Formats: sequence, structure tokens, C-alpha cells
Amino acid sequence: MPQLLIAFTILLTVGAYLLTKSLYLKYRHPLLNIVLLGAGLIIATLVALHIPYSAYLPGRRIMTSLLGPATVGLAVPLYRQRSLLRRYAPAIVAGVGIGSLASMLVAGLIALAAGLPKEVLLSLLPKSVTIPFAVEVARIHGGSPGLASAFVVATGTLGSVFGGTLLTWAGIKDPVARGLAMGTGAHGQGTAMAFMEGERQGSMAGLAMTLAGLTTATIAPLVVRLLVRQG
Amino acid sequence: MIPSSPQTPVPQEQRPPAGPPKNTRLKQKLRFLGQLTVLTAIYLVGNQVASLTSLPIPGNVIGVMLLYALLNLGILRLDQVQDAADFLLRHLVFFFIPVAVDLMNWGGLFWKYGLMLALAIVASTATTYLGTGWLAQRLRSREESCPNS
Repeated sequence: MPQLLIAFTILLTVGAYLLTKSLYLKYRHPLLNIVLLGAGLIIATLVALHIPYSAYLPGRRIMTSLLGPATVGLAVPLYRQRSLLRRYAPAIVAGVGIGSLASMLVAGLIALAAGLPKEVLLSLLPKSVTIPFAVEVARIHGGSPGLASAFVVATGTLGSVFGGTLLTWAGIKDPVARGLAMGTGAHGQGTAMAFMEGERQGSMAGLAMTLAGLTTATIAPLVVRLLVRQG
Repeated sequence: MIPSSPQTPVPQEQRPPAGPPKNTRLKQKLRFLGQLTVLTAIYLVGNQVASLTSLPIPGNVIGVMLLYALLNLGILRLDQVQDAADFLLRHLVFFFIPVAVDLMNWGGLFWKYGLMLALAIVASTATTYLGTGWLAQRLRSREESCPNS
């Protein structure tokens, strides 16, 4: 009864989403991450019921069919904030550009020095951008979507717990600069923290999140060539 | 925005016999589906462009750029996509969960390389925060000191 199993995996995923989301909304702690907690619940259930990963795939395909159109929708908030985009263009372009490049280079060089497998290195490169872009960048260059999404969540959690303190310690007080750093460094999770600091920080972080995704995807081929071809 | 609360009593004279609340709700649903179709079409075009040009850039990235361009050029209006886009973005995190279930295949990796992975992620995230924050703040203070530029 494959249909029944597909229905079960979808219901399980929806249930895990609703449960972890209500937990997050109740406590609002960055460690209560919906993606990791939700996926952990599902993996635990599948393992306990002896359901193999391959049985989860048909349901996964159905559930993620709307991820592409949803991601395209990121252009809507970008367009709504276009006056901010124009007003702070130099800081946005330079800040997001340097951050995206630094994120990939530092992660990639450490992975290279540590001798991590190529597939892991390629999944690590887009770790600072939001999951739909990171997953596609990893897939195109030969990484793993699942690993990429885990690295993205690890980065986002780290950034949302320590990022604000790090910026303050480094004397970065300008709200525009703080928002840009949070969105470039820790995507949606950083953006959520930026909105807690203020409206301006939050809007800048939202812009930076989408633009860092576009920038990372565009320069990733160059970084991959630089890091992997020599290795 | 049309208030959708079902408890709101509708005054008798505003309610033609055919039952318009149902009708407007149907219209809203159809409009939502239309917007979803527009977003899906743009996504598919993005994918097509990526595969035809064999650019190593994801189709969804091209899709975002395309929708932004269409909005800026006035070919699409915000109200032709925003209901569906806002709804999907509100639940964006849901779509990430099935992707992260792929981790089921990677359990051993974190035991083997955990320390190096943690180092790479911490160093890279800190560099990004400081690099972006520092450069953006520098450019902003220069902007403010010469407002004519």
C-alpha cells in the first residue's frame, strides 16, 4: 500500500511542522529550530517504525513541489523594499558581496585543510544562505542537499545566538550595517533576530538574506573552481 | 483586504439572495490559484533558462531575478502575485523540513568530522558577520560625512 505510506509520511511531516512551530512560537528561543527539530522527529519516527529513507522520497517530492514557486516569491519583499535598496546601495552591494565571498572562502579553505570529503566541502560552501538557494547551489556543484540544509541551520542558529553580541563587541553599531551582517551571515534565522532589534535592522537583514542567496549562487562556480580543481 | 471572519454578521440589505460571501471567497481562491500559477510559471522559466544556457546557476535564483525585473518593468503588478507569495513565504520553513530529513543518510559523518565541521562553520560565520558589518558601517559613515555625494 504505497499510497497509504505516502499519506502517512506527509501527515507525519505536517504534524512535525505544526508541533515544532507551536513550540517555537511559545518560547521563541533560537535553539528551538523548526527545521532541525521537525526533521529529527520525523527521522526518529521513521527509524522506530523501520521505514527506510527511500519510502519517504515520494512524499518529499510532493511536499517540496511548491518550494520553487515559494522561493521565486522572495522577489516580492525585495520589490517592496526597493527604495531602501536604492538608498543604501553602496553599503548593501559591498557588504553582502564581501560577506558572501568570505563565508564561502573561509568555510571552503578550512574544509580543504581538514581533508573533508569533496561532497561535504561542496555542501558546506553555501552555508550562510537560505535553504532553497543553498540546496540548489550544493546540488549543482556535487554536494548533498540534506547536508547543505543541516549546515545552513547550524550557521543560522550560531548566528542568531552569538551574532548580535559579536557585532556589538566589534563596535558595529550602525543599524543598517548590523541588519546587513545578520541577513548575510545567518539568512532567515539572523533576519528574525534583526527584527527583534528593530524595524530598520530587520528590513535590511531581509534584503541581505535574498541578495546574499543570489550573490552566493552567482559566484559559487568561481569559488568551486578555485578550491576543488587544485585539490 | 477583505475581512474573512465568518462570525461577522452581514447586514441584510448588503446580502443579495444568491449568497455573495461564498462567491467572493471563490473569487479569492481563484485569484490565489492564478497567482500561484504565475509564480510556478516564472520558476519553470527560470529552470528552463538555467538548463538551456547551461549556466551553473540554480533556476530558482534566475526565477527571483526574473520576477523582480517583471515587477520593476511594470509587466507584473504587486497585486498579481503578492497574496500567493506572502502565503508561501509565511510557510517557507515547512518546505525545509522534508529536505532536512535527508540527514538520515549522514549520521556517521558528524561523529567523524564533527570538530572540523564546527570549526569551519564558526570561523566562516564570524568572518561573514564582521566583514559585512565592518564594511557596511564604514561606507555608511562616509556617506553621512559627505551628504552631497
